[in-house]
Amino acid sequence: MGDGKSDVLQGTLDLMVLKTLESMGPLHGYGIARRIEQVSNDTLNLNQGTIYPALLRLQQRGWITTEWGTSENNRRAKYYSLSRFGKKQIEKETESWQRIAATMARFLATPR
Amino acid sequence: MDWLRILWSRCAAFFGTKKLDEDLDEELLAHIDLATEENLRCGMSPQEARRAALLSFGGVAQIKESYRVQRGLPFLDVLLQDIRFGTRQIWHAPGFAFIAVLTLALGIGANTAVFTLTHALLLRTLPVRDPGELVRLSIDVSATGTRDDNAPLNLPIIEAIRRQSHSFHDVFAWCVYDFPFRDGNVNSGLHGAIVSGNAFESLGVHPAAGRLLTPADDQSGGGPDGLAAVISYRAWVARYHADPSVVGRRVIVTDHPATIVGVAPAGFEGVIVAEHPDLYLPLEFQAALYGQEAKHDGGRLWLQTFARLNSGVSQKQASAEMNSLFPHILDAVLPPAIRHMPVVENSRFAVKPARTGWSKLRVQYTEPLLLLQLMVGAVLLICCANLSGLFLARASARRVEFAIRGALGAGRLRLMRQLFVECLMLALPGALLGVGLAWMAGPWILHMLGNAEAQEAISMQPNPAVLGVTIACAVFCAVLFGMAPAWTASHASMEAALRSAQPRTAAGSTGLRNWFVPFQVSLSLTLVVLAALLGTTVTRLLTDDSGYRTENVSFALTDFLRVPEKGEALVTLYRRMAARIEEFPGVEHVSIAAVAPLMGVRWSDDFLAVANKQRTRPVESMENVIGAHYFSTLSISILSGRDLENNDSDRNSCVVSEAAARLYFPGTSALGKTLRNVIHHSRTGEADTYRDCQIVGVAQDTKYDALRELPPPIVYLPITVGEGGSTNGGSTLFFIIRARSISTARSAYLAALHELAPSSPEIPPVEFNQIFQDSVARERLLSVLSGFFAMLGLLLSGVGIYGLVAWNVTRRTTEIGVRMALGATRPRVFLLVIRHVAGLLAIGVLIGALAALFAARSIHTFLFEVQPGNPWVFVLSALVLMMIGLVAATLPARRALTIDPMQALRTE
Repeated sequence: MGDGKSDVLQGTLDLMVLKTLESMGPLHGYGIARRIEQVSNDTLNLNQGTIYPALLRLQQRGWITTEWGTSENNRRAKYYSLSRFGKKQIEKETESWQRIAATMARFLATPR
Repeated sequence: MDWLRILWSRCAAFFGTKKLDEDLDEELLAHIDLATEENLRCGMSPQEARRAALLSFGGVAQIKESYRVQRGLPFLDVLLQDIRFGTRQIWHAPGFAFIAVLTLALGIGANTAVFTLTHALLLRTLPVRDPGELVRLSIDVSATGTRDDNAPLNLPIIEAIRRQSHSFHDVFAWCVYDFPFRDGNVNSGLHGAIVSGNAFESLGVHPAAGRLLTPADDQSGGGPDGLAAVISYRAWVARYHADPSVVGRRVIVTDHPATIVGVAPAGFEGVIVAEHPDLYLPLEFQAALYGQEAKHDGGRLWLQTFARLNSGVSQKQASAEMNSLFPHILDAVLPPAIRHMPVVENSRFAVKPARTGWSKLRVQYTEPLLLLQLMVGAVLLICCANLSGLFLARASARRVEFAIRGALGAGRLRLMRQLFVECLMLALPGALLGVGLAWMAGPWILHMLGNAEAQEAISMQPNPAVLGVTIACAVFCAVLFGMAPAWTASHASMEAALRSAQPRTAAGSTGLRNWFVPFQVSLSLTLVVLAALLGTTVTRLLTDDSGYRTENVSFALTDFLRVPEKGEALVTLYRRMAARIEEFPGVEHVSIAAVAPLMGVRWSDDFLAVANKQRTRPVESMENVIGAHYFSTLSISILSGRDLENNDSDRNSCVVSEAAARLYFPGTSALGKTLRNVIHHSRTGEADTYRDCQIVGVAQDTKYDALRELPPPIVYLPITVGEGGSTNGGSTLFFIIRARSISTARSAYLAALHELAPSSPEIPPVEFNQIFQDSVARERLLSVLSGFFAMLGLLLSGVGIYGLVAWNVTRRTTEIGVRMALGATRPRVFLLVIRHVAGLLAIGVLIGALAALFAARSIHTFLFEVQPGNPWVFVLSALVLMMIGLVAATLPARRALTIDPMQALRTE
């Protein structure tokens, strides 16, 4: 991308969503999307809509649960929160991601 | 277990689509609203705020779509969609659907019916432990050109194998047997087998009650329970209402007390296919009946033998090992006279896989079944060609529909998939109906086997294997007849289709469709020629002069093994019995014969003419041992001389058939000459001895064991005393009875039997006519079924041709209209339409004739007195096919003549 933003890597969105929910508690889809944008300092080329398939994926695995609630503008909205199972998974996923990142870093650090 | 959780949630979502869609809509709307509000707070105008919100969200429709695909079961969703659509299509054209389903039902039904029989007879794996290890051990005598399958073994050979071979374990023997069975006052016959004591252990089957036979039961003198008997599960349920107390019950089997020790498991039918044994006894039963000598007789081959291969030993290795041992085993077991007979010298030991058991029916029916399987395969291909044509026609009628769907974004694969589902929706009901048809035809097909035992034992009920093959058939058909239309549909050019509703010129698919007709016609012609050849064979067999008159003649097999009379007295008993039966009112003639004609039994002996100086080597001839009136009973005329007398004055006389007279006394009259019967001393190995007999009569030629052969030379010897206290024809001879009716013969025979030999088992007489008909059972099965398949092929080809011409006329309506407007006469138009199809027919007939010639050559062994290349058969078959083709073409072609040029041009 010419505007200096990078695409979201396959599989990283899920972990971003999990971490967001871990730090923020129950949140609706828009909230999660905004939070990810803020944390990434708008360096990510994220279509907000793409978090919905990611949310569905996590839901199907039973890592997050949903519940209808009322948003700040008094509108019905679906809130997502981490399940107990999901909390355990975060550790594993984090670890695996860190391993990949470290490996990548080693590759990049290798002098030409 | 992630995938399970995901699958579960997908399944759950599949059923709540509507609610979930609403939820998703609401959630996404809330998202946009929240984003818009935030943008408003940042100071954007309402319009700008909403636009920015949508922009940062991305494509709403795409997100929804990918969300849905991930949420439910998209494959199933699409399938349901296709099925709904297909149902509507079928609903709109019920006639088309009806014809398609019916065609398929016939095609698939024929396949299922034949396959059910093939499966039952050839393919079903035995329900025993590790059936793959099982092999059948036998002696291959085919090197000497005998038609018979491999010969069985006997106990001394089996024991030698057990001792010397390292290739096998669990070598066991099996012999099919019919038992007279008495339990209390209930007297009946039970079909079953005598087996070596280790048979059940070796097969690894477990009793339903009590215990099964063990080697201890097979000791000489009987086991712990005396003579132990095992009954089948079927007999247990039918006779004893599955009462477990049947174990220990005392019964009488052929006059010998036996104890039922257990019940074989349900569904176990032994190792001989197409048999359903109800009673199993140890081999020791043979010793109980006929003495230990009979059980251990090395000169007789009577035990079907099976074994398990040791692990790591291949069938080839086992065979190699056995063939190095085999000559030594034969040396030790066989008497020298038999050992050095050419048949034995040239024989080899055979180790054959027996995963599916063994049956003598396989010898007879393996090839016919494969032939029938090929024929039904051809019928199925004709069906598919028909349906393919129909579907192509419909596909071209639906061109606009396909084009619109394509224009709306349906991919090529999606279109093909939908068409395929539609085909499958016709094929599966067709298959179901086909299974029903096959099931109904089952008893009829079995009846044609002409084997009462097999008829009862073979189940024509559809089983999983058969259903699997049927469904595979249906899917195969759907692919085959769906392929062409799907291909052309997906290749249809959209704008061309949308522009003109009625194509004027031939589309790409026409060429393809044309080829179905020659294809169908050539297959049909092959079927018709084969059916005609096989039909001619049966007719020739049945009408060829056999030398016998079969009406009102019955054969009664009589077992005089246990009558007190021996030697002379036994011969007298036979004669008295024949005379006694003859006294009953309605009985015309009665005679005795060791070999009943046309039952597939051969008995030959070596004879030489004493007067003839040149011919010193004995020549083989068929032989029979008969009583007086044999010739009059079977309506065989005596050409010169006289019949044998019903007493011992003819002890040294004989009657020969014309062929035998020619063979031994060429050029002179055989009457009064002496014929020498050379007797090889099989048991003792002593020098050959001989017996002379004087020819007192020459009888007309007759066929002997089968209708297929020309009348062989036959020597008829009178019944006299033979070896070991029995007659020279053995202890089980036939009474041959000609009476007013079959029932008269039966009651007279049974009455005489009760009177003169009450200890003998009652075996009901069989009709000669039935035997006559059943002796061509194999040919009959082939000819009737192939005839039926040929008719089916003809019918389907006719329908196919009709369809093609009808479609062509519709397609070319405008063209024909133009031609007529320009002055074409009606006959010319008619010719135009017919010429095209006649050309296709001719191509089909030519290709078909070649294919038929090839096919006919390869079945020449089934034929009798008709050459595979018989020109009449070919010409008539081709004519029939051409006629049906032209009639099928004429019907729709007539419609071309009624086209009104003005009307046709106006619709343009």
